[in-house]
Amino acid sequence: MVSPVLLIAVPLGLAFAVPLLRLISRRIPKYIPPVAMLFNLVLSVSLMSSTLKEATVVSIGGWDPPFCINLVVDSLSILFSVLIALVGFLVSIYALDYIEMGATENTEKYHMLYLLLLVGATGVVLTGDIFNLFVFFEILCISSYALVAYLGDKAGVESGIKYLIQGAIGSSLILIAIGILYGMFGSLNIADIASNINSIGSIALFIPLALLVTGFGIEGALFPLNGWLPDAHSSAPSSVSAILSGIAIGVGIYAVARVIFTLFGVSSIFPFLAILGVLTLLVGEASAFKQNNLKRMLAYSSIGQIGLIVFGLGIATYHGISGGLFQVVSHALGKSLLFMAAGYMIYRTGSMDISALKGIGERMPLTSIAFTIGAFSLVGLPPFVGFASKFLIIQSALLKQDVLFFVLAVLVLLATVIEVAYFLRVCQIIHFKEGNNQKKEDAPLVALIPMFILVSLIIIIGIYPNLVFDFLNSAASGLLDKLAYIEGVL
Amino acid sequence: MIYYIGAFGLVFIGLYIILTKRNLIKVIIGLNILDTGVNLFLISVGYVREGTAPIFSRGSGQVLMVDPVPQALVLTSIVIGVAVLALALSLAIMLHKHYGTLNLQKVKEQKW
Repeated sequence: MVSPVLLIAVPLGLAFAVPLLRLISRRIPKYIPPVAMLFNLVLSVSLMSSTLKEATVVSIGGWDPPFCINLVVDSLSILFSVLIALVGFLVSIYALDYIEMGATENTEKYHMLYLLLLVGATGVVLTGDIFNLFVFFEILCISSYALVAYLGDKAGVESGIKYLIQGAIGSSLILIAIGILYGMFGSLNIADIASNINSIGSIALFIPLALLVTGFGIEGALFPLNGWLPDAHSSAPSSVSAILSGIAIGVGIYAVARVIFTLFGVSSIFPFLAILGVLTLLVGEASAFKQNNLKRMLAYSSIGQIGLIVFGLGIATYHGISGGLFQVVSHALGKSLLFMAAGYMIYRTGSMDISALKGIGERMPLTSIAFTIGAFSLVGLPPFVGFASKFLIIQSALLKQDVLFFVLAVLVLLATVIEVAYFLRVCQIIHFKEGNNQKKEDAPLVALIPMFILVSLIIIIGIYPNLVFDFLNSAASGLLDKLAYIEGVL
Repeated sequence: MIYYIGAFGLVFIGLYIILTKRNLIKVIIGLNILDTGVNLFLISVGYVREGTAPIFSRGSGQVLMVDPVPQALVLTSIVIGVAVLALALSLAIMLHKHYGTLNLQKVKEQKW
């Protein structure tokens, strides 16, 4: 069997090879990210079946856990790893053309940072060591700060610096928490800490828990901590927004979930998590509703989707968690599709205003169809994947038979109504408003192919959700059953 | 104990600077002080009174040593801090090019 270490090592090596390969030929760098991500995709998919049975633990340096740095590849990790590789691969194909448009200088910096971002994300989901988690998280964060400011324009730099300041505070909080945990347990291994967590009183554990949730919550865009998100996602180039919205936030949520479920295993925090999720959802959707800027609207909608994911995790039943994870999948597919389509729409119309999209349905028919399907999926219309995931979350909230969760489920449905309103408004402008008729100029083929791969995935998984259910259920039970995780590692 | 007080003193000074100062360079300095505080905290977690550096040498026998793991962590954390600092300063230069000022109160084109 191939070692999962390659999932990190190969893209990391290739990322730093980009500037060297640039010396050989100017045309090589842009083909590196698709190659690396295709490799990751194939490797992750081939690891899928073995992780369904038991977690693969890779110890580095020849020591046994808990003394070594180890990778723990369970079904939750591999679910995220497949998702990262898939979306990363498709967006990198899309970026082959997109990032070159209007570029005045060489783009190898972009390709290198892009690969580093994906390496960081993959590392976060695979690692079984809390300090290693922090390091990969920092790789992810630093490359995304730089990518947000990649264009170097006014808006990009401003949002980049905002994102950087908030992110840096967050990572300092994480590091303090790691220090406290090391002081308490003398170990950095997640499984080792988790097995000893009950030996310390709950009051003393509250501080590292709060620090970790706050620190990872900044990247995961939980409600009071998401001030950077709309700026960063709307000012970045669209291919970067697609990856930040689809992947980077999901990884932040993964880290929060790992900390709460596996590391601490505190059940008393779940209602708080659910309320926080619904609050994030309502704030995100309500802010998205009043936006006139297309990319800002999509960014706020990402906040809303994150709220829904956190709500699903906060239900903390078996079905609730698989619903939340399903929502991660449907959000990653739908939102990266929307940002990819929006990128070319904005480029063709030359404006980010929603009202500028009049008549774009005739001008760019295929891109508009892709955008519409992405929007319908996020809203939760059948037969797209968003329907299945939302349905699962609402169903499990009602099955909980708790007044609190009943009220929260009603609020979620209310937020969905708001979501329908603003997405349908955009779709109406795209398809039914007459524009000044111009000649047809759709997005180039190299951008349409990844979009339509995503469209077909959205439809196929939407019609046959059973394709992914086995895997989601296994990932959910991995998150709930912390003893199995500990025994798998130690 | 005194180390912990010093470390968290630095952390809170850093946070205070980030939250109250309007000049971007000062905010970045605040970030750096915050970082230093965290590093000092990590070092003091692994400190053993009157311990020596954790280096094995022939014939040293049993000596009291400080915990080497936090020192390795701090090494990594310093490197990360340098990267963030360099990126922040280069963004500050670009921000000054665009706006002609480093006052964060005047840089607010992006709003909720």
